[in-house]
Amino acid sequence: MAELDDRLVLCFSSIFPALTEEEIRGSDVALLSDMDSLAGVTLVALIDQEFGVEIDLEDLLRLRSFGAVQRYLCERRVLNLSPKEQIIR
Amino acid sequence: MKLLEALEVLKRPISEPTSTRELFLECGFTPLHLQTFLAAHLRLCFPQSRNEIRTGLYGDLAGNLERLQPSNGSIICAVVEWADLDPRLGFRSLGSWRSTDIPKVVESARRQSERLALCVEHLAERAPVYASLPTLPLPPIFVTRGSQVHHQECELRQIVASVATSISACQRVKVVNAQRLDEISPFGERLDPKAEIGSGFPYSLEHASRLAEMIATLIRDQPPKKGLITDLDDTLWAGILGEIGVEAVSWEMSGGAHVHGLYQRFIESLGTAGVMLAAASKNDSSLVEQALARKDILLSRDALFPLEIDWGPKSTSVGRILKQWNIAPDDVVFVDDSPMEVAEVHAAFPQMECVVFPKNDCHAVWDLFKQLRDYFGKGSVSSEDQIRLRSIRSAAAVRDSLHAPGHDADSFLRDAQATISFALEADVRDNRAFELVNKTNQFNLNGRRLSQSDWLNFHQSPCAFMLTATYEDKYGPLGKVAVVMGNNDGSKLHVRSWVMSCRAFSRRIEHQCLRYLFEKMGVDQIVLDFKATPRNRPIQDFLAALLGRPASPNLSIERASFNAKAPALHHRVVEVTDDRIEGKREESLESHRLCCQ
Repeated sequence: MAELDDRLVLCFSSIFPALTEEEIRGSDVALLSDMDSLAGVTLVALIDQEFGVEIDLEDLLRLRSFGAVQRYLCERRVLNLSPKEQIIR
Repeated sequence: MKLLEALEVLKRPISEPTSTRELFLECGFTPLHLQTFLAAHLRLCFPQSRNEIRTGLYGDLAGNLERLQPSNGSIICAVVEWADLDPRLGFRSLGSWRSTDIPKVVESARRQSERLALCVEHLAERAPVYASLPTLPLPPIFVTRGSQVHHQECELRQIVASVATSISACQRVKVVNAQRLDEISPFGERLDPKAEIGSGFPYSLEHASRLAEMIATLIRDQPPKKGLITDLDDTLWAGILGEIGVEAVSWEMSGGAHVHGLYQRFIESLGTAGVMLAAASKNDSSLVEQALARKDILLSRDALFPLEIDWGPKSTSVGRILKQWNIAPDDVVFVDDSPMEVAEVHAAFPQMECVVFPKNDCHAVWDLFKQLRDYFGKGSVSSEDQIRLRSIRSAAAVRDSLHAPGHDADSFLRDAQATISFALEADVRDNRAFELVNKTNQFNLNGRRLSQSDWLNFHQSPCAFMLTATYEDKYGPLGKVAVVMGNNDGSKLHVRSWVMSCRAFSRRIEHQCLRYLFEKMGVDQIVLDFKATPRNRPIQDFLAALLGRPASPNLSIERASFNAKAPALHHRVVEVTDDRIEGKREESLESHRLCCQ
């Protein structure tokens, strides 16, 4: 969980280098993406490549907060595991 | 490289940027992550340069290229995909795929490809162009099953091959090698249909990164290595000569030694492209001469110069070869089957590429040939490349004569019957001059390299001049050996670049260059943009002798002082004028004008 959290912060900070970690954690994804139309598309590609989770831009924007994105990824990654792996977790 | 890594690379500040490179990334799709990867790979290739990447309009590659007005120093990347030849060959258009429409698609692709090729050729007159031709799979729009190729599909591939043939022959166009891309980017994993439909970006991230890396490598254009030093036993041939004898060493399939025959053929091919070849072997020299004299050997004895055969350390032999060639270790590749010898030479010359010959591994030999081609690869083979070995031999003969005891340099040079042919035409197509400026280290005024863009800019300057010198004497031709480039402000010359091949040392060609410039240009002063580098000692010594003091930046030489201090010059001087250059320049300007209209 901590590792996922750190990597997600890294993804955000690579696209929004001016934001501090605290600002990233408190950020609204939709507002951030509104500031730069390419940012959302890049964030979707980063999440796909870094976490192996495909998400549509619209779904990402609906999640809004950093925490919601984090929870979404956590759930999707668990769902992607085999039933046996889920039990072990 | 992953996207996150690319973004991280781009976040790093550039400490003291030395230059800014303007790059036009032209493609018909949204450049998106290709732009990010290209910027990141360029940053890795040129850590001190700032890259400003500009892009064009979506869906109009040909229009983007036609509208392009590259400024001085710009470079152009044209990334073509099938949809740029006809939108119906992409995944985003909803154009008809009816079987009766496919011939129209092919015809439209043919017309569009001709338009693109013309754009690229015109742009290459003004700036270097790096092109990638379709890398994605064609959509399954042909009536045959996937396992059977349809002739219309073949026609489309032929159209692309025809564009590649045409533009890759242009001097300032470099085309991404599709075969190499196939090796590093699996064909079935290149297309990302979801990204193409969603954002207009058709590439998977992995493919975008690999393609960007290849384009950045082309732009980087590392100068090729100059010489290859090879071992003999178990490398040039199979077997230990001293143990099994002259007739038993082999390089044929029947003796299980086919890879050694291939190696002989391969380095012979390098030699014919101007790569200097020499051998360093712990061996008996008379046995080596006998083995190299065998009638069935594939690599001619004459292709190797010098042969350093003795029982001393390999690094000592390699050092002597470097001295004969008069080049630096980082211009050389050393090949030997013994990892220990390779390590010993590498320890003595850390800058040298030292490679183990994989005598028992055919796959590794194939990879070695690819690696060697990458070290020595160049755009074309010049006439100088073809006489290089001969001129190295004659340079060595001249050096030996000059250093012989009781030798008189003046009488030797008088007897050499030397002719210097000077050309004062600034010919932008002179590849050899461009190569000399970018490869020469020792007699180099300031070590400054010129990119293709710098080269073009220089030739567009109205007061620029370029002098080239071609040399020949009774020992043989050396080819084009010196280039002087600069500006003439009427009262004095400003020399920005001055290089001379190390093969041409000790012949007073450098003095004759200055004398010719003073007389031909009618000036009394030549200002030299000199800068000392770790490797340009020969030009430092030459200038110090002329000036009577160590050379310093922006030094100037007066005609009277030069005449007083120059030694006797015995060359026959010939002036070369080429009317075709003027004609070609007019053609070039005309096509430039057409392109701008």
